[in-house]
Amino acid sequence: MSRLSFAWHRLIPRSLGAAALVLVGLTSLTSTAPLAAQASDPLVSALSKMDATNRFTIQTIMDSARAIQLPDAPLRSRVLQGVQKKASAGQIVASLRQKFNLLRTARTALGQVTDNELDAASAVLEAGGKPTQLASFKARQKGREAVEAFTDLADLISRGVPGEEASSAIAKLWQDGADDATFHSLWNNVQADISQGLNPGTALQNRIRETPAARTATPQSKPPEGQQENQRSE
Amino acid sequence: MIDSERHPYVEYIAREARRPVVIDPAAARERIMAAVRAEPLPRRRSVFWEHIVAPRSFTLSPVASSLIAAGLIGIGVLAGALASNGSNRDGRPPAGQGDPVALGLPVSDTVVRFVFVAPNAGKVSLVGDFNDWDETRAPMIRADKDGRWSVTLPLSIGRHQYAYVVDGTWHADPSAPMTGDGFGHMNSVKVVNKGSTL
Repeated sequence: MSRLSFAWHRLIPRSLGAAALVLVGLTSLTSTAPLAAQASDPLVSALSKMDATNRFTIQTIMDSARAIQLPDAPLRSRVLQGVQKKASAGQIVASLRQKFNLLRTARTALGQVTDNELDAASAVLEAGGKPTQLASFKARQKGREAVEAFTDLADLISRGVPGEEASSAIAKLWQDGADDATFHSLWNNVQADISQGLNPGTALQNRIRETPAARTATPQSKPPEGQQENQRSE
Repeated sequence: MIDSERHPYVEYIAREARRPVVIDPAAARERIMAAVRAEPLPRRRSVFWEHIVAPRSFTLSPVASSLIAAGLIGIGVLAGALASNGSNRDGRPPAGQGDPVALGLPVSDTVVRFVFVAPNAGKVSLVGDFNDWDETRAPMIRADKDGRWSVTLPLSIGRHQYAYVVDGTWHADPSAPMTGDGFGHMNSVKVVNKGSTL
């Protein structure tokens, strides 16, 4: 029986082999650094601990979001939060899918807005607001964001203020040019009143009249119909 | 031309050329040796250097070359891990580290101070989207005997969700707007503008 051996290394000159070795080493040094950085990414680490099906679903949702230019950060945050709260992979996927849909709906309602506004608007929808209520914020002034307005609106709805009342009141303030401090002050007063037992809707109607924007409003800028009815009924 | 017609200068040269040369061998040797000694000696390389720079050939088996390549890859991974450690994906330092207030640094436009009252708590941490919800990255410090816990962080301008982890249990901040966390509980929201504090 003849012994077969293939001395492949003899075919390559030694100097060439050494050069190739150095090249491999340098390539490794430059190419593995980003990989190592990626490996230390908490999201990558979290996904690596999930089963293949859920991992694939999460990656697909994230990819879909990128494809339609939805912000990546709120989705990433949702996954990491679920992991830290020790939610099951199924719960994380469901929550992520819900957030994706909310962001997409908010985008449809508002058009092109900043990532922060879109995230805040999706929180309004998550709290129970409707896409049509977001549409009131579509007409916007250049350089002005509705992040604080959406944040306070989402909170008020989650505290029990009827969505229609809350959105019309906040949208009216926003259209009248109220600044972030005005929104935050309004929210602070309303939540304090609710904490003391006042009806959430009534608390909002009482406090909205105290805002500087409402006090200085021109006669032409009448509050929406629903709001007027509520004021009369008090 | 005959000899009598020679120029006196030519005659002088011819006379000098005909004079026999007298050489003193000992003196010549001395002069030569003195000249040699005056020349600086060439620098001799050390044995160690000679050993290092001497060309040589070596053989490397495929197994050995694979091991060396694996080692280099390992060094690359280690270097990458060290490079990425200590900074977030966006290049900011991890929350809780480099506390500008604690370090006595000037307060920037986006430094936010978080305060939570928990008199009976043993450990309180701040978690949020700014630190990947990791409770180890922004531990809060008990500020006084009234049970106020605080931490000051540099935050980017924008909307941030956060919560406090009190002895392992997550709590929303009662002094901030709330939003659903997507898992049946509530988070708090901080909108950071230029010059924000909390």
